[in-house]
Amino acid sequence: MPLEILLILVVGGISGIAVILHLLGLTSPRRLRDAEDARAAWLREFPYELPTDITLSADQRAALITTQAGPGLVWCLGADTVSRPLSGSDLSVTKNGLRVDFHDVGAPHARISLPDADRQKWRDLMRTA
Amino acid sequence: MTDQLTYPDVVNYAVPFFIVAILLELVWIVVKGRGGRYETRDALTSLIMGAGNVASGILLGFIAWGFFMLLWQITPLDLGTSVWVVVLCFVLDDLRYYWVHRFGHRIRWVWASHVNHHSSQHYNLTTALRQTWTGTFTFMMIVRAPLILLGFHPAMVLFCGGLNLIYQFWIHTEAIHKLPRWFESIMNTPSHHRVHHGRNARYLDCNYAGVFIIWDKMFGTFVPEQDDEKVDYGLVHNLGTFNPLRVAFHEWIGIFKDMSQSGLTLRERLMYAVAPPGWSHDQSRETSDQIKASHLAHHPEDRGTPGFS
Ligand SMILES: [Zn+2]
Ligand SMILES: [Zn+2]
Repeated sequence: MPLEILLILVVGGISGIAVILHLLGLTSPRRLRDAEDARAAWLREFPYELPTDITLSADQRAALITTQAGPGLVWCLGADTVSRPLSGSDLSVTKNGLRVDFHDVGAPHARISLPDADRQKWRDLMRTA
Repeated sequence: MTDQLTYPDVVNYAVPFFIVAILLELVWIVVKGRGGRYETRDALTSLIMGAGNVASGILLGFIAWGFFMLLWQITPLDLGTSVWVVVLCFVLDDLRYYWVHRFGHRIRWVWASHVNHHSSQHYNLTTALRQTWTGTFTFMMIVRAPLILLGFHPAMVLFCGGLNLIYQFWIHTEAIHKLPRWFESIMNTPSHHRVHHGRNARYLDCNYAGVFIIWDKMFGTFVPEQDDEKVDYGLVHNLGTFNPLRVAFHEWIGIFKDMSQSGLTLRERLMYAVAPPGWSHDQSRETSDQIKASHLAHHPEDRGTPGFS
């Protein structure tokens, strides 16, 4: 197959499918319904590190999980969730909330959008939990 | 004379068919409200991985091809090009696929390339196209050497490999539940391959088949899809990114970081590259065997059931 035709097919196909999916409203739909939903998302990755406390972000796109082994984070990615322990991560304050850097090539960072009022509470929990 | 043998580059010709099939699956899901899930960025990443795979084949394909042609020069055998030879080549190349795929899950060096195929939490036709960019660096072309030395022409072997990949495209779907019993018993199917994409302890490291599921049954790695345990797709620890560069290279970088830690013995450094994924010198991670063992410690009733034998 001529390379130009292949290129047109590939570029056209990929962008066409992406546009259709976006117009169908299928972009990043995941929200954490409640603490129970966040707990299930955490246990999916760490089935034996039982949450002792769960704090949901106001936009329901992240949850801080407290466990015996230390704090962890669940956050929404696309239609699904990702979970990571917070040990070894770096925390910074951003315009819209907090940013966690995990030093993990496969999960470099998570942005947590938080109202001003919640920001300090989350920072304290992340530090002491 | 057969040095000039050429077969169509089947995977490239299949691209329009892939696009149409993805659109049909999407319409099916939207109309029926079941049979799978799509998400824009996930699908976009999968498709870009597929395009990058084709590009890496164009750029790096000469390495494997050069190796195969070298073998073809030294072998005194030539099985010719009859239809039956092509059929036999297809079956034996599928056996080759089984072993390359099994190594891909049991040797971290090979997993570093294959991991990206499993890095989506979705299971739809775009997932099929989430293919590696770094296959050349696994050196798994060596597993094809016996086929060429036996007298199958390199072009025929690659043609069969292309058909194999195309077969595997359509089984990446939740829209098909189960097919007739005779078909499920011989062929790899959506049901069998869903299990292969599972991150459930039960479903780790099984169903490596490409086209024929019989290899898993022969070599003891077959686990049937359980009606009472839905497949949870993705990795044991899912990726927190849709960036194709991170998807393509994260495990290679992980190997490099692990191997270059200070204070390791030479053996430990080597093990980070060749041991099963999840191996660590300080037991800080879990291999699939250890994950299954912890599962059984918490759920002893599962011992002896499929995936926990
Ligand atoms: Zn696999
Ligand atoms: Zn697959």
